[in-house]
Amino acid sequence: MKLLAGFLFSFLSTVGFGVITNVPRRTLLPAGLTGAVAWIIYLVVAQATHNLILPNLLAALAIGLLANGAAILVRAPVNLLYIPCLVSLVPGAIIYLSLKDFTLGFDASAQQNLFKTLTIAMALAVGFVLAEAIFKPLRPILKSWCQQK
Amino acid sequence: MTNITERDVIDLCGLVGKILLENGAETARVENTVEYIGQAAQFPVSCHATMTAVFVDSKTNPNTHFVKVRVGDFNLQKVDDINTLSRQFTAHEIDYAQLKTGIAAIDRKVIDFNWLEKIIGAGLVSVAPMLLFKATWTDLAWALFVGILGYLGTQLATHKITTPYVSVALGGFIISLCATLLQLSGWATSADNIIISALMPLVPGVALTNSLRELIGKHTISGLVRAADAIMVAGSIGAGVIVGSVLAQILMGGAS
Repeated sequence: MKLLAGFLFSFLSTVGFGVITNVPRRTLLPAGLTGAVAWIIYLVVAQATHNLILPNLLAALAIGLLANGAAILVRAPVNLLYIPCLVSLVPGAIIYLSLKDFTLGFDASAQQNLFKTLTIAMALAVGFVLAEAIFKPLRPILKSWCQQK
Repeated sequence: MTNITERDVIDLCGLVGKILLENGAETARVENTVEYIGQAAQFPVSCHATMTAVFVDSKTNPNTHFVKVRVGDFNLQKVDDINTLSRQFTAHEIDYAQLKTGIAAIDRKVIDFNWLEKIIGAGLVSVAPMLLFKATWTDLAWALFVGILGYLGTQLATHKITTPYVSVALGGFIISLCATLLQLSGWATSADNIIISALMPLVPGVALTNSLRELIGKHTISGLVRAADAIMVAGSIGAGVIVGSVLAQILMGGAS
């Protein structure tokens, strides 16, 4: 139930962010599915561990692999798929909380949240780099397979 | 292909780089696309892009073209259009003149989803999956409407106010004003949850992640510019939120 609702809402919010950032319409559906799958992975891994880095890293890895595949299918730059997919994972709420605490003078919790933000963003970025590295040898194979069809 | 001058190609490459950067492409893609176009037009150029400027340099002559860029909002449709054009040009499906008119058309054209679709989009983003089963369902429903208001306020202010960061602060202000009023009047349970959820379309999380990706890719300057920008945006949202909630408390507290 939780996973189903998570899948649905992360799909909707990925598509919504795609609309705000004006992605071409043909990438909306693959982006939404990728974002939803990544969110499910995040939820499952986050339940299994208390680690902050691992769920984000694995979710970003999933986005990286799926988005690269989808980018070849719909012939679009892969960044167009990355940006909407990221929206539910990204540490936007925490960086806002951190800077709100700075404004109010709660330095300790502000610093803690700032470090959390950087950790999550780093985990996501490393996940993407790993995905690109894994995908590089696969790309020509997938491309030729796509052209055959 | 006879009457193309090198100056012409470099100018066009500068324009391409400018459009790509302004609409949210990452620097590596900007540099690659410009260099491919130069290669295909038989005037090899090298390109260096940071978040604030694009340099296009001819490899054969001491010619450099420099374009200043003011990075704006994401408009990924334009990035995709340019990408398609440059792909066709490198595959020799269209010639140089067609490429030039195509790019000029993209530069002028306003490509957008219509307002209704954008409003629905902003509403959908405002229901954060992060808060499912943490916030109450009524709060999430409120967040949908509050998020739309905040997004609309920001978009309208962006067109009217040229001072940077004011429009996002206004968005934060509207959101927290609405959310705090809702909580104080008893219609919603937690203003904090509504604020966090409704801020999702405004908050610079994607920009921050992109900046770290660029830093890892050794595009140090643009990575740092993006990171500083993200922190400034988050800071102004935070300031706007605090002003909004204080104002709401004065408004309601004065009455009771």
